[in-house]
Amino acid sequence: MALAPGLDPAAFALGGKVPLRALAPASIEELAAVVKACNEAGEAVVVFGGGTLQGIGFSPARYDIAISTARLDKVLEYEFRDLTISVECGRSVERLNATLAERGQFVPLDAPSPGLSSVGGLLASGWSGPRRATFGRPRDFVIGSTVVLADGTVAKAGGMVVKNVTGYDMSKLWCGSLGTLAVLARANFKTLPLPETTRVALAALPERTRRRAVEHVAALDVEPSVAIALHGFPEAGGRDGQEGRLFLMFEGSHTLVDRATRDLRSAIGAAGVPETTLLDGTAATSAFARLLDAYGARLGERSLTYRSCGLPGEALSRCDALAHAATRHELHAESLLDILGGDAYVRVSTKLTAEFAAAVERLDASLGTSSPTYTIFNAPEMLRDGLKMWGNEMTSPATQRDIKHRFDPKATFAPGRFAGRANCSEGKRA
Amino acid sequence: MSTIARLYEALGSDAVLTAPEDLSVYAYDAYSQERLPLAVVLPRDARDVADVVRIAYECGEPIVPRGAGTGLCGGAVPVEGGIVISFARMNRVLALDARNRRARVQPGVINLELSKAAAPFGLFFGPDPSSQKISTLGGNTGTNAGGPHALSYGSMTNHVLGVEYVRTDGSLSYAALDGAGYDLTGVLVGSEGTLGVITAIDVRLLRLPRSTRVCVAAFGDVEAASAAVSAIVGAGLLPTALEIMDKLIVSAVEAHYHAGYPTDAGAVLLVEIAGYPDDAESGERTIAQIARECGALSWRAAAGAAEREALWASRKGAAGSLGRIAPNYYIQDATVPRTRLPQALQRVDEIARAHKLPVGNVFHAGDGNLHPLLIFDRRERAQVDAVASAGKAILEACIALGGTISGEHGIGYEKRETLPLVFSPDDLAAMARLRDVFDPKRLFNPEKIFPSGAVCGEVRNPAQTQSQRQTLAAGGAWL
Repeated sequence: MALAPGLDPAAFALGGKVPLRALAPASIEELAAVVKACNEAGEAVVVFGGGTLQGIGFSPARYDIAISTARLDKVLEYEFRDLTISVECGRSVERLNATLAERGQFVPLDAPSPGLSSVGGLLASGWSGPRRATFGRPRDFVIGSTVVLADGTVAKAGGMVVKNVTGYDMSKLWCGSLGTLAVLARANFKTLPLPETTRVALAALPERTRRRAVEHVAALDVEPSVAIALHGFPEAGGRDGQEGRLFLMFEGSHTLVDRATRDLRSAIGAAGVPETTLLDGTAATSAFARLLDAYGARLGERSLTYRSCGLPGEALSRCDALAHAATRHELHAESLLDILGGDAYVRVSTKLTAEFAAAVERLDASLGTSSPTYTIFNAPEMLRDGLKMWGNEMTSPATQRDIKHRFDPKATFAPGRFAGRANCSEGKRA
Repeated sequence: MSTIARLYEALGSDAVLTAPEDLSVYAYDAYSQERLPLAVVLPRDARDVADVVRIAYECGEPIVPRGAGTGLCGGAVPVEGGIVISFARMNRVLALDARNRRARVQPGVINLELSKAAAPFGLFFGPDPSSQKISTLGGNTGTNAGGPHALSYGSMTNHVLGVEYVRTDGSLSYAALDGAGYDLTGVLVGSEGTLGVITAIDVRLLRLPRSTRVCVAAFGDVEAASAAVSAIVGAGLLPTALEIMDKLIVSAVEAHYHAGYPTDAGAVLLVEIAGYPDDAESGERTIAQIARECGALSWRAAAGAAEREALWASRKGAAGSLGRIAPNYYIQDATVPRTRLPQALQRVDEIARAHKLPVGNVFHAGDGNLHPLLIFDRRERAQVDAVASAGKAILEACIALGGTISGEHGIGYEKRETLPLVFSPDDLAAMARLRDVFDPKRLFNPEKIFPSGAVCGEVRNPAQTQSQRQTLAAGGAWL
């Protein structure tokens, strides 16, 4: 334990809890030693990457030690001609993709705040962004992993090949486990060649044309890699007020992207959408980065974001239903609708922080069991434990609990993340 | 009441097979092991499956789920005395939602049938194992199957959105990729029937490409062809498929299909470039250029849909057509990093020579997924031993090159004793913990994946029976 230097614990507070210590191991062996010691001492651990997606799930019921992966940031193997890379999980998503970009490659992880977001944190959060319908989710690019289990065991799965059915695909279990089963120490990815060009098309999306425009976009001959209908979210290029914005991104050869642009203009023109603005090169990639950041953005302590998953064809209705419910409870609603993937993000807020908690609690209570599946993606720390962070249902809760117990019998890793503090008292496994 | 009597009572007599002549049909898959189960059941729906699982678990009988039996590693080989669940009657596409590009299927649906059902909507199913005319989506899910298009579309795990499965207590559960909690879908795919019995699968469908080109390049030898593949991928080009067949395979294929592959070349490379017509010509030009720089002797594009389909049909039927020239053959499935392909092929050749066995190569080069076929005569005991030894040596060579021992058929029965060459005891113990959650009594497809822990020197008999050869020749083994 003496090996890992201490950091300021205050920087790792969650849900009003400040850990006793914050440690930053510099190697996987050191990480294993730290985890083992915490587990033996009965200390609860929260693993921190960049902390950008710590807002998912309940805050930990117990929290003694923060383990930062910041120093585990090396590239371990990169044979670019194999289109595979292996990195330590503390490396930021931005630095991973910077390394890949030198060889004309990327992994479409679509991380909000990629400069902060760590590879391990992103994977553990189960995050999937606006390009998941086109390219797949982050977990689809993971071809192997090494983790540290609660007892300090280092376990690997998969490998450095792109096609592999050797043993269980344990990486799938670690991805989306929110740091409750193991610490992701190393991740191996398959990569993709960068497209020749990227173009963003922004169009005004008046309320009356919204449904038709969404249908036209879903039916485009050249499929965009990103198709988002924004309502509000000015920081992402949306507009305040009634008028929405359509955010489309095309990636591919110059010839293809040019044709896509022509097709798009005629298709959304037919849907009654006025002229589009085109962004190319760095203007396009910056616009996309702002869109990604908006997913995770919170307006101080006076907003939170609901994420609703489901069929793309029903996304607009789901999105509107949630937004209307919010409005009924005197909350301002903004939405970010993934036309291709079917995710709807609805950010609800109040003008004054003091009004927020009561309003959102009323909204949350009103979203009864008949509501479509949603989760709260990003809530102020102090509200998290009082809200239905995971919506109304979790599939196979007994199996979920059993998995947690098998891998982390002493509930060392972020106890209560999934189950909540109320279900995480003595004698209950979470 | 006996296990069989309970099964009869639950499912009816027409859904339970116990006569030795009926059981013998289910005694094997595309691996060499042969064992008779106690009974074979043919459930009609998930409730039937749940009943079977409940009865089996209460009676302590192992359960082996079975699709079409095309797996090469013995994943569907019965456990002595256990119950085989055949999904032959659960073969319906339950829902096909074109707007949302997804389908719900029963596990017995044949892979190709789903793409056929989706075609009128301009959609298809991505993973296309060469056995797709006979192999089932349940089996494909169990082994996380890939196929030639895994290069561009990924394997089953990238296409399964959720699964309904029966747990050991006979209860039905549903795991969804978008649900809250751990990704049970992700671990059930590829678990070879050891975690639960899958009764329905939600999959995503893809839009049919707007343009497809299929080209054939001839090379002097398989090393040159695989060096071209490494160069194409290394240049950041990912066509939709990159497949190699060597001379021995091409001769067998041409004798059977007459698709027009050059029989005088040492190896041929099949390249498919699918996507938008806007990029097709430049894409082909760039890839053809790299192929020529790597020593391609010729390059030819298929003239139309009929020729494209003929080239694909013969490629996918390669293993089956080998039946014409080989008394017996043994197929290996291993993966190496793509840049290591030429070395891996060289090692395969050396190993085959050292064991005095003819070898053919037909494989998913773009993924680094090798399928050497060792040709032998099972009547010659020495050759049988040589095949077993060569098969293991090939796996070891692939591991040494940074690869692994299964690309798309799983570990099954065949490779479980080889698994410790890839994974440490700690790695395997982590996997076993997961197994404990789902199946603490080890009744779901036991003796598969995990090493026995017993003596590793078990002699494998890779020889095939007459009926197996017929199965393979009819449908094509799953490559």
